[in-house]
Amino acid sequence: MTDAPQGYEALTIPGFAQTVGPVFRHRDGSEMQQRFRFVPEERHMNGAGSVHGGMLMTLADICMGRSANLAAEGGRAVTVSLNCDFVGPGKLDEAIEVEVAVTRRTRSVLFMSATLAGGGRILMTASGVWKRLGA
Amino acid sequence: MTQTPPPGWRAMDLFDPYERYCGPFFERDADGRRECGFRVEPRHLNAGGVAHGGMLLTFADAVLGSAAWEACGRAPCVTLSMQSQFVAVARGGDWVTCRAEVTKQTRALVFVRGDFFAEGALALSVASIWKILRAGPA
Repeated sequence: MTDAPQGYEALTIPGFAQTVGPVFRHRDGSEMQQRFRFVPEERHMNGAGSVHGGMLMTLADICMGRSANLAAEGGRAVTVSLNCDFVGPGKLDEAIEVEVAVTRRTRSVLFMSATLAGGGRILMTASGVWKRLGA
Repeated sequence: MTQTPPPGWRAMDLFDPYERYCGPFFERDADGRRECGFRVEPRHLNAGGVAHGGMLLTFADAVLGSAAWEACGRAPCVTLSMQSQFVAVARGGDWVTCRAEVTKQTRALVFVRGDFFAEGALALSVASIWKILRAGPA
């Protein structure tokens, strides 16, 4: 397990997020805005030597889902839609910074957006809708 | 991870380290179409005890990408965009399947969509666009 970078703490969500992780969340995040960090390893790559698109979408889902849950006022929220545009390739060992924002929070859903960047370049933009369970 | 394919299915050739890490994935010919499948393992679950969205999207990327790759004569392609709707959950132990459909192909792009079923019930719908990488103009 990689040590957390300064100012970050590792997500401890059991299951697939730990299988592919570690993913780190910045401690300074607010309820409506969060920042995460992830460093791709060999097991996260595709055959062309870039970070696999499935891994980038997984990272988006983990970070946006965690942010949605943090904004869900104690409740739980689940992904109902996720749209991802692949802007540029991610590289082995190059840290990916994920910026997540809650665009709008209603009683029953959360509108989320995220930008994944590495080495000063945007790798992926994502938007999605999370459903608040029981709402 | 060793896993025996169900009768009539064979293991997909996976070239990407990430797909090999998340797989195995399987395929078969069904009514003249290719069908892909995978078994939801404990390591694929989320904190809620159902298949993680990221795992389903990883399988979707592998299946739709494979269809795009076959459609363009096995030229390398990269994902440009994926729109995904999570209609229902897939549970641990579920067998998840998809028959990808190429809806349009141009000189530079392949449009591929797919519905993903968990034990026969619709769980995920995905539409995707792929860029064909070629050396020089085709």
